[in-house]
Amino acid sequence: MLALRLTRAARPAVQLRRLLVAAAAAGTGFLLLSCLGHALDHPEDAGAAALRLAWCAVPLAATVYFALAVARTDPGTRPRPGLSAVGLSPARLMAVSALTTALSCTLGSMLALLVFLHLRGDLTGMPFDGAAAGFLAADQPLPLPAALTLLVLPPATAAITVALALRPRDPRPATPDRRGFGRFGAYRRATARETFGTYGRFGSRVTRRTTAGTDAAGQPGPLRTTGSTDATAQHGAGSTAPSAARTGDPAGDVPTGGTPAGLPWGVALVTAGLAAQSYAGDPAPAPSLAVLLGWLLTATGLVVAGPGLTHLCGRLLQSVRPGALRLLAGRVLMTEATRIGRPLGVVCAVASAGYAMAVLYDDPSPDFGPLTALGALVVAGCTVATLLTAAVEARQCRAETIAALLRLGAPASMLRGAAALRTAALLALFGPLVLVVGALSALPSAR
Amino acid sequence: MEAPPDNDVLWARSLHFSHRDGSPGLTGISLGVREGEILAVSGPRGSGKTTLLRCLSGQVPVRCGEVWFNSAPVHTLGPMARERLRRDRFGWIDPEPVLVPELNVWENAALPLMLRGTGRRRAKAAAREWLERLDIGDKARCRPHALQHAERQRVAIARALATGPSVLFADEPTAPLHRADRAHVLRTLTAAARSHGITVVLATHDAETAALADRTVALLDGRCVRTVHLPDAPEPEGRAACSLSV
Repeated sequence: MLALRLTRAARPAVQLRRLLVAAAAAGTGFLLLSCLGHALDHPEDAGAAALRLAWCAVPLAATVYFALAVARTDPGTRPRPGLSAVGLSPARLMAVSALTTALSCTLGSMLALLVFLHLRGDLTGMPFDGAAAGFLAADQPLPLPAALTLLVLPPATAAITVALALRPRDPRPATPDRRGFGRFGAYRRATARETFGTYGRFGSRVTRRTTAGTDAAGQPGPLRTTGSTDATAQHGAGSTAPSAARTGDPAGDVPTGGTPAGLPWGVALVTAGLAAQSYAGDPAPAPSLAVLLGWLLTATGLVVAGPGLTHLCGRLLQSVRPGALRLLAGRVLMTEATRIGRPLGVVCAVASAGYAMAVLYDDPSPDFGPLTALGALVVAGCTVATLLTAAVEARQCRAETIAALLRLGAPASMLRGAAALRTAALLALFGPLVLVVGALSALPSAR
Repeated sequence: MEAPPDNDVLWARSLHFSHRDGSPGLTGISLGVREGEILAVSGPRGSGKTTLLRCLSGQVPVRCGEVWFNSAPVHTLGPMARERLRRDRFGWIDPEPVLVPELNVWENAALPLMLRGTGRRRAKAAAREWLERLDIGDKARCRPHALQHAERQRVAIARALATGPSVLFADEPTAPLHRADRAHVLRTLTAAARSHGITVVLATHDAETAALADRTVALLDGRCVRTVHLPDAPEPEGRAACSLSV
């Protein structure tokens, strides 16, 4: 009941996001149902039906990913310190969040079932002169348990994923505690301890070598690696832990300033994927397993490399004597690299796949039917919407800083300019990347 | 209409303000801030200190009453003009040090200067100078999360002072600090203001803090009051009998 009330009393933008989730779930559900229809129509060809069902995993994954992003940005399930005492604790909020997601997805599934039944002619006779009767097995009775099982799939997967991702966790250090080796080992930073007189005896004025020392000695501030950040956090745990607890991100996914580590792995995966596709040769009749594997590797590589590329983009943006505009734009991009970079990598993978498809099948091929179009639409829409939702989430997380900047008198136009600059920089980096990856993966097949 | 004294840099006349939900914030406040003085606005929580500072610094539009800065009306300015006024002439210190977490310490301190259009080199020099003066020059390359709370607050003060504002609004700048840090922060703030002739409007609920100011305006329930009659704490009976040192 609480989930329903929280769901009902949201603002239009939030409801729009939930409706988009419902629409994505409806698309996925309809694809699953049409797989069922195809299998009913061709009971002798089980292998093809299984293959169709396997292809539905892609829209399903995109839908779940989008639902998770929407659940993260849902203001109704934000942690409320004041309401924790009346029972709206983080665990309860996780349940509310999962339930809300399940509600939206179930709405979508119901919609898919309605459309499916309508097209089959079970409700009001055959629409469109029976044009859709072919692949929906209109002449056979619908096995209800099978349809319901398929329809339950998107809500259940989304709800379970949301519950797992948003489960309450204690804030913990980014790396597990490492053994201290005293003065002997190389891992511990040597701190010159005052050992003389009263200061030494009572441990006061122990020289705290914070990042100022490491930065002056090694890298400048923004180039600091995660290692030194963590060491600093542990070193001054007494001071930083309360403030971190006060800012209180329950998921513990506060983006640290460190460099995302995935860029080399991502580049290696993309290269391996492209190599696998080019060695697979000419897949004229049907894409072979090697081509699929190559695509999978390329897509994974793009997703893994996304944060690193975003971080690189931000670093380039704020390099060489930046003013306030470039400084704000670049540093924010560097900090939000993980949050923005992952969905951006997914969008990049989907877009390059779409580009390669467009190059390969420039003539409308016979197997590019309405269902394929629907699947492509669901996948592309979900990934783009996930990216936009991640941008909304980043904006929500930075609301306090933006308010402080406005109190200082920072012009709102400059903040908008910084956002536009970020978008332009990301487009300038990822647009050519999409084109290059798409063209390279289409190259061996087009020969 | 009575002309205000010549050396008043900022004054308010019969300032009324009610919050967006209709709850009363200020009910008829008139005060003047003289050039170069440190004015403490004291009062308990909820007495309208922050609201008064927000009205005076042009963060919220004043619907009823007048606010004048340097013989120019603030209450008639639009949002853009007030934003420019805040950027160019005013400084602001929050109770919590809200620094931009992505920038390091000197970039945070230099940010208002850069927002004004000062060149990067000059902004950096000014920011470093103020950070040195506030004893955090050795942490100028750290990120804010690596600093302690009092250090962050000092960075916020350096950020507010680096631009050389005409009026500095400090909204309970020492509220979340311990007493040692509190004294340090206040001493640096008042010393810097006096040596540079910066007018400071300091909101505080603390009598010790208010004692550092030149003048104190007491607020209660959104009004200026001369004397506050609060009931004395009743003498608890039997305190000596309960003493552990018996």
